[in-house]
Amino acid sequence: MTVVVTGTGAVTALGATAAETFARLSEGARGLRPLTLFDATGYRTALVAEVALPGLPGEGGPSACGDVSRTSALALRAAEEALTEAALPRADRGMRLGLVVGGTTAGMLETESLLSVLVSPAGEVDEVARAEALSRMLSHPLSAPTDRVARELGLPFARVRSLSSACSSGANALVVGASWLELGLVDAVLCGAADALCRVTLGGFGALGALDPEGARPFDRRRRGLTLGEGAGFVVLERAEAARARGARAVCTLLGWSSGSEAHHITNPEPTGEAPARAMVAALRRAGIAPEDLDWVDAHGTGTPLNDSMEARAIARALGAASSRVPVSSQKGQIGHTLAAAGAIEAVLVAHGIARGRVLPTGGLEEPDPACPLPHVMGTAVARDVRAVLSSSFGFGGMDTVLVLGAPTAEAPAPAAARRVVVTGAAALTPAGVADLEGLAALPSVTSGELVPQEILALDPERSRRLDRTARLAAVAVAAALPGGPPPDAGLVLGSAFGAVDATAAFMRRLREKGPRLVSPAEFPSLVPSSPAGHVSIYHALHGTSLVVADLATSGEAAFAQAHELVASGELDVATAVAVEERSTIVEAVLAVLFAEARIEGERPSSPGPRARREGAAAVVLASASVAARRGLPVRAEVAQVLAFEDAPDALAALRPPEGRAVVVLPEGAPSRRAEELLRRSAWSEVAPLAWPGDQGTHEAMGGIAVAVAVAVLARGEADVALCVGTARGRGYALVLMQPGSASPCA
Amino acid sequence: MESSSEKAGSRVSGAASADLRASLKELLVTELALAGRDPTAIADDAPLFTRERGGLGLDSLDALQIAMLVEERFSVRVPEGDEARPIFASIATLADFIAGAGDSAPRV
Repeated sequence: MTVVVTGTGAVTALGATAAETFARLSEGARGLRPLTLFDATGYRTALVAEVALPGLPGEGGPSACGDVSRTSALALRAAEEALTEAALPRADRGMRLGLVVGGTTAGMLETESLLSVLVSPAGEVDEVARAEALSRMLSHPLSAPTDRVARELGLPFARVRSLSSACSSGANALVVGASWLELGLVDAVLCGAADALCRVTLGGFGALGALDPEGARPFDRRRRGLTLGEGAGFVVLERAEAARARGARAVCTLLGWSSGSEAHHITNPEPTGEAPARAMVAALRRAGIAPEDLDWVDAHGTGTPLNDSMEARAIARALGAASSRVPVSSQKGQIGHTLAAAGAIEAVLVAHGIARGRVLPTGGLEEPDPACPLPHVMGTAVARDVRAVLSSSFGFGGMDTVLVLGAPTAEAPAPAAARRVVVTGAAALTPAGVADLEGLAALPSVTSGELVPQEILALDPERSRRLDRTARLAAVAVAAALPGGPPPDAGLVLGSAFGAVDATAAFMRRLREKGPRLVSPAEFPSLVPSSPAGHVSIYHALHGTSLVVADLATSGEAAFAQAHELVASGELDVATAVAVEERSTIVEAVLAVLFAEARIEGERPSSPGPRARREGAAAVVLASASVAARRGLPVRAEVAQVLAFEDAPDALAALRPPEGRAVVVLPEGAPSRRAEELLRRSAWSEVAPLAWPGDQGTHEAMGGIAVAVAVAVLARGEADVALCVGTARGRGYALVLMQPGSASPCA
Repeated sequence: MESSSEKAGSRVSGAASADLRASLKELLVTELALAGRDPTAIADDAPLFTRERGGLGLDSLDALQIAMLVEERFSVRVPEGDEARPIFASIATLADFIAGAGDSAPRV
């Protein structure tokens, strides 16, 4: 099976379309200019690559554009362009479509406006405005642009994912999309990423000393940093034979990919470039091509002193002798570093390079750094037969992803068959303490206390000093899930609905009160949604793919599904799925407003009693069945089915319980009511009583804890099959786990 | 942290006072979350960026954080890049820089 790109779309500072951006980049144009989006007085630099498009939402919340964030609007434009080019038959209900969107800032620009109202001194803002701002504070989680794109496109997406791996998010969106095609989960997948400029990133990267006030000059010996940009990039991926059958034109192929973690530092790249080089080699191997076959390396090339020299070492290391011949370039001196969007935009540009026979230049590069001895393309694009291209993206926390794209007729080696996946360990963390497999089977009710006690979160003080609360909760859960912790090649998928809301508010308060020069460089990385995954992979020295996924109250289930896909498709041998939600003062306050206005149902979070909002985490370690057997990892359960569904009364109709003693594990309380309703209409209604040992309060990681409980029930032999169902607005997951080896998985 | 500012107010030109050094040690331990470190056990000439000779083993992200904290608490702007290296050698050099800032370093 070969994956082909049948549609491309991009919005950047240099163009409203992929073709326009490509043409301007080819000429060597640079889209850097002073920021107009908000007042940049006091920031270290105002030089950015801002998108100038009529009708794009700017500051100030609801406008003529409604409640669409700037990031969502950018995503929508690029996604529509890609869909139009692919000419997907929109009415064909038989075609299963997927949507994967990567991001880091989501609606941060809009959230900043809300926060500035919330942190204003009393008297400056009236209470009505404050309540209104508060009620909209959770309107922009990482999953919001994904939901917006899905809604606006009006397509029946069978599978949807929101992810972040910082500046490699866009590339990882393509990796996830390609794996869905390989696993046969979808027939076509729209994948990409978007990020808009905002104060948090301009202030944060400024505080890190990472911005070049003269504009990014990748690989130049005078380079001093990156230039922030904004934009979106999307592609449509399909299986080659299916695309051919429907008469679609392939722009290029996605031949190979690989991702891994440096497990080194939350902001700095590991200087030898070992991990990126490993990803490059693995991506080339998957693509079935040699370094000599490459016609272009489209580098991450941010323009920071540390990245570019590290990347030059990584390229030399991975490509060997070919590194002195394969042209290298980066577009970040021309369209800025578009953060999450970068990897997706660059994949789109590479696709156009292949289609047009052109290698783009590195704008801003005039005096190549002797520490970056590479065959740079300078000035304007060069004509060349482009048959294979390697595109790199590296993110905060050392999340490295490499794509290999090829000529439209190229063929990738046949992928391995989907692998059976087993659960080798599980644990949960609640205000009542840490529960390992034994403890999970009789999880105590949380009778007092809303927070996980501090002594439980004690980690190695030296190595954990930068971990925020979410990362700590996750790190403790991961350590408890498998004795000795996961193996060093394990990946990590962390599900979190809202991210660091309180920390973002604190950052904004400082920005407002002290000015952009005095925001905290050490705290900025924790505001990036992917940072808990980065922190945990560094703390536990995990070198596999590391990602954060967000899916409202089903974030834990989404993390499980994502980890399962990475193992089943062969990208990882072992992956830990984590669900985590820290208790947030702001989230509590927002929910209180929403409950008071009866905008959502359920127990009031502020009400005392067992089901008040609490916090918690869960970790479930998945492994390929054959790898678990080879390494002697314990096998606690087998994953039989991972069903993602759009909420509808008959959503679970097709889900048949296999033979044997079955049990349904659902958290108590309001969030499970919809799941109970769906189950009553399914074949599972007769099967089993709902089981839930103990009351854990309410939070978005409850679904992850339910999965951990299901594993424990199976591990103790109390059931042969366990079903977990989680739902959130318009979506849900059903996860079926079984006794290992008891039957062939029905997936 | 109020005490840091008060002590900073009593700074003298030239060699930094023991008070300033002590408050810097406390500032670093608190703000860089050096849990388990006793500020009074840090030597004045302990290197900041290595673990050798009783050093703190900090990294470049800590250096940025310290520069920001010094600017906030002492109203002294630490130069960026290579110029900052000798200033960040130890608590003593950092304290000397802050104490001498009235004469040489740009005030904010």
